[in-house]
Amino acid sequence: MRQGSGLPSLVLMASLIGVGGLTKDIGYPMLAGVLSTVLVWAGPAQVLLFGSIAAGASLPAVAIAVSLSSIRFLPMVVSIIPLLRGPGVGTGKLLIGAHFVAVTAWTEGRRLLPGLSEAERFPFFVGFASTVMFAASIATGVGYYLIGALPSALAAALLFTTPMFFTLSLVAGSRTAADWTALVLGFAFAPLATQLAGPDFDLLIGGLVGGTLAFAVHKLRGGQHA
Amino acid sequence: MLETLEQASGGLWPYLVVILIGFLPTEIWRIAGVLAGRNLDENSEIMIWVRMVAAALVAGVVAKLLLSPSGALAVVPAWGRVGALASGIAGYWLTRRSVLGGLVIGEMVLITVGLVYS
Repeated sequence: MRQGSGLPSLVLMASLIGVGGLTKDIGYPMLAGVLSTVLVWAGPAQVLLFGSIAAGASLPAVAIAVSLSSIRFLPMVVSIIPLLRGPGVGTGKLLIGAHFVAVTAWTEGRRLLPGLSEAERFPFFVGFASTVMFAASIATGVGYYLIGALPSALAAALLFTTPMFFTLSLVAGSRTAADWTALVLGFAFAPLATQLAGPDFDLLIGGLVGGTLAFAVHKLRGGQHA
Repeated sequence: MLETLEQASGGLWPYLVVILIGFLPTEIWRIAGVLAGRNLDENSEIMIWVRMVAAALVAGVVAKLLLSPSGALAVVPAWGRVGALASGIAGYWLTRRSVLGGLVIGEMVLITVGLVYS
């Protein structure tokens, strides 16, 4: 797995170059894009945030969509916390550690933290994740000025990185019939839910219906852990 | 209320949007994970349900980003975006379940369509 470790970081940089371009598209200052990388720290949420503003969506609706796209952080944080706990790591430090949880740091943390002593884990995680975040902030700033200068097909490819990578992550992480149900229904319901529930609540309806049906499949198949 | 806030904030508005519409709605789930983490087993039924809903939501977000794309991605026609995604998934299997393989193939298809049709 060692050779795979650079991939999430590479994908992250490409995605955030794209986010920098979106920040410029809507007329926001460069530092607002960089601030979104430091504070939001979630590629799909950032693309939704700036993309929906570009499309003229109402801000409360954008906030709902951004929040729904980030629910995955709840189970991710729950699963990494036992690895971050250690001497002197209380709730305050855990909240700081949790802020860095996103696909890159989570994948690398789950891979590398078990090999460290308890005392080393929290400083290592925050050090590693903030280094990646610093590089990602630079990528966002560079993207702000770069995207407009690139041939349009290349600029499109950078923005395509987020949906393509997250789809492949879902495919790679799908083991059971229930996993596949969540993935396929979530994707297929999206256009249908937009028709039925409108652009404000389509994600919520699609996610709840697709996810709950997948959970039903999980129960029907004897409830093996997904 | 938001309009009043926008006028009152002047040039700081984009930063407020990033904090209120981007940061807070995302961070609540990380905070909830820390606060609930003590009492939740990651393999409990409720967490499995949350993971399923989260997976369906991410798939829905992907569909949304592809079907109503932003910025430069909009120059590639819809069939090209969906076709590139499908090629990337096929590429993942063809390269013996390599995420990098799938990503490279999907990107290549997207760039090719983009060069021809934009």
